[in-house]
Amino acid sequence: MAKLVALALKDLRVLTADKGNVFWVFGFPLLFALLFGAVYAGAGKGPSGMKLAVVDEDQSEFSQLYVTHLESEEALKVSRVDREQALTQVRKGWIAAAVVLRPGFGDGFSGFFDANNPKLQIASDPGQKMQAAYLEGLLAKAQFEVMAKRFRDRQWMRGQMDTWRGEIQRASGPLGTDASVYLRFFDSMDKFLTDVNDQTYQGGLGNGVLNVAKLDVQQEYDGPRTPFQITFPQAILWAILGCVATFAISIVRERTTGTFQRLRIGPISQADILAGKGLACFLTCALVIGLLVAVGKLVFKVPIGSWAMFLLGAVCTCLCFVGLMMLVSTLGKTEQSVGGAGWAILMVLAMFGGAMMPLAFMPSWMRSISHISPIKWGILAMEGGIWRGFTLPEMLLPCGVLLAFGSVFFALGVLMLRRQ
Amino acid sequence: MAIIAVEKLCKRFGDVVAVDGVGFEVGRGEMFGLLGPNGAGKTTTIGILCGLVRPDSGTIRLDGKTDPTRPDVRASLGVVPQSLALYDELTAQANLEFFGRINGLAGRRLWDRVAACLDLAGLSQRRKDRVATFSGGMKRRLNLVCSLLHEPAILLLDEPTVGVDPQSRNLIFDTIEKLRSDGRTILYTTHYMEEAQRLCDRVAILDHGKMLVLDTVANLIAQHGGISHIEVGLDEAPGDPEELASRLGVGDLGLEGKTIRFQTREPAQALATLNQCGVRYKTLKVDTANLEDVFLNLTGRRLRD
Repeated sequence: MAKLVALALKDLRVLTADKGNVFWVFGFPLLFALLFGAVYAGAGKGPSGMKLAVVDEDQSEFSQLYVTHLESEEALKVSRVDREQALTQVRKGWIAAAVVLRPGFGDGFSGFFDANNPKLQIASDPGQKMQAAYLEGLLAKAQFEVMAKRFRDRQWMRGQMDTWRGEIQRASGPLGTDASVYLRFFDSMDKFLTDVNDQTYQGGLGNGVLNVAKLDVQQEYDGPRTPFQITFPQAILWAILGCVATFAISIVRERTTGTFQRLRIGPISQADILAGKGLACFLTCALVIGLLVAVGKLVFKVPIGSWAMFLLGAVCTCLCFVGLMMLVSTLGKTEQSVGGAGWAILMVLAMFGGAMMPLAFMPSWMRSISHISPIKWGILAMEGGIWRGFTLPEMLLPCGVLLAFGSVFFALGVLMLRRQ
Repeated sequence: MAIIAVEKLCKRFGDVVAVDGVGFEVGRGEMFGLLGPNGAGKTTTIGILCGLVRPDSGTIRLDGKTDPTRPDVRASLGVVPQSLALYDELTAQANLEFFGRINGLAGRRLWDRVAACLDLAGLSQRRKDRVATFSGGMKRRLNLVCSLLHEPAILLLDEPTVGVDPQSRNLIFDTIEKLRSDGRTILYTTHYMEEAQRLCDRVAILDHGKMLVLDTVANLIAQHGGISHIEVGLDEAPGDPEELASRLGVGDLGLEGKTIRFQTREPAQALATLNQCGVRYKTLKVDTANLEDVFLNLTGRRLRD
């Protein structure tokens, strides 16, 4: 055992003596986790607000009040432009939609409810129906709240009723007998507005905002709580791939420089030499996992659902990739050939295994192929402990596949090494 | 009793016969040389002795044990490989510590042996430096002492001076001679006849996998080296050249002014005869036979052809 430990420690010293190795094994995976974690985090938040261009052709006091109200809406990012600019921006896809306040928009209720000649126009892509409906809702809400403000202005209300009274008196025909009913209503209303005190009037109208009570209900969600829960297992796999490539090349280097032969003529069996290499690779993988998890936990607050399951997955992953390292080391007779062939194979495995892009984002045919990549099972096993909430029986599948892969790789590697 | 016994060793790689019926014995404390050109089978023989290569036939006995593929048998061996087998990224001390641990050393004994080997290699001052920064000679010396850490009973040196500068070569020779004087058994392969002649008690000459001869250096030269050429610059020309030739036991004595030239198989005896005859000479040039001549006479080729 002392000889195995000596072999492993020697490999760790050789590994850390080369700054390039240290970067690929420790630095690059950390950068990967941080970069893609930040990318996914940004993607998860969604847009901060719908981009909306507003064209105020009315330029009335009311229309300006309305635009100001839209600008205060958190869900919208409003810009004031002219009609041509607005339509161009929508056409180019630079903004989600444009709203045009036609002349007459601020002319009291008629501006709002004129069905024959609408004073409010929305320009948006017909394909974006949900977006348009969302915008209509926001516009209606704004309309309601601006109107409510108007209702609080008794002078404006009385002026508005004078206008309507005049229109009714000038009207002929259809209104007929109903005209006197409307006029009586306006008279009563006018008297009410004259007599009522401010406090009663304001209180009766509430605060003029469409109040919706919000009940916070935490949705049951079994997915990752933070994007780092996805990117850290990926980063760990990248680190392990770095270890695999580094140690595979180190085995070839030992063969080309003669140190492997020197070890073989020492009082140590070939099995012990290979076990020592495997132990060194395993320890390095474990070390880098520990480092990444520590950074993830302490700096990025990555929650680990079950430490026991995570450790189980990590150990099985390390064992699997020790076997793969042994096989990769036999892919050539020089460091260059093993480095080239090794990384080529590892990159393909990484691509299909979900180390570059989460499997969830892949097309179904790629997800099918991913089963043959040990990287997929490594990520799954660690995710099982981090956020998937796997139980021990559920961990058996990924861990079993990893151990099976590892055993086959190791046996093939030793066989080919002996032949060489 | 022989500490190394090799009998009828054969090894073939495909159509190439690397070792063909080689057999020899090396006594305890003896320094034994395997001399031959590249491809003679020296390294294969060493490979078989240290368990790296399995022979097709033949037997080996190392300190009474027969199977060098077993790690416990190899524990009594110290092998200095032909290529530099060191970790360039590590310091000299770290290399020695690592190989010491692989050879079962630990604790105080490990530190003592590492210090002793650094001293033996003349690298104590550079022990903290990475091997990558060493000259070729320094690496060779370190390569040698890495095999001495566990004080093996048998030392197998496979061309330990290849590519070494003269200064380092002399240091390596001094080290080997010290090991020899300590009673270590050494098997030394080389294609430099000067090394074999200087260091070895007995030499086996190999060619094309076969062992041509085995004897002490003196006997090999005497038996297979051929004649020595002697040129003597005299104070005055000899009065009777024929009588002088007769007393020297040479058939043909060349005389050119005051210089005589002749050939003999026993140059030391011839010089003694000259002194007995009262011949006074100013200059003396003796071209004695060497192992190169032995190889040339045995194979018709030079060692470095």
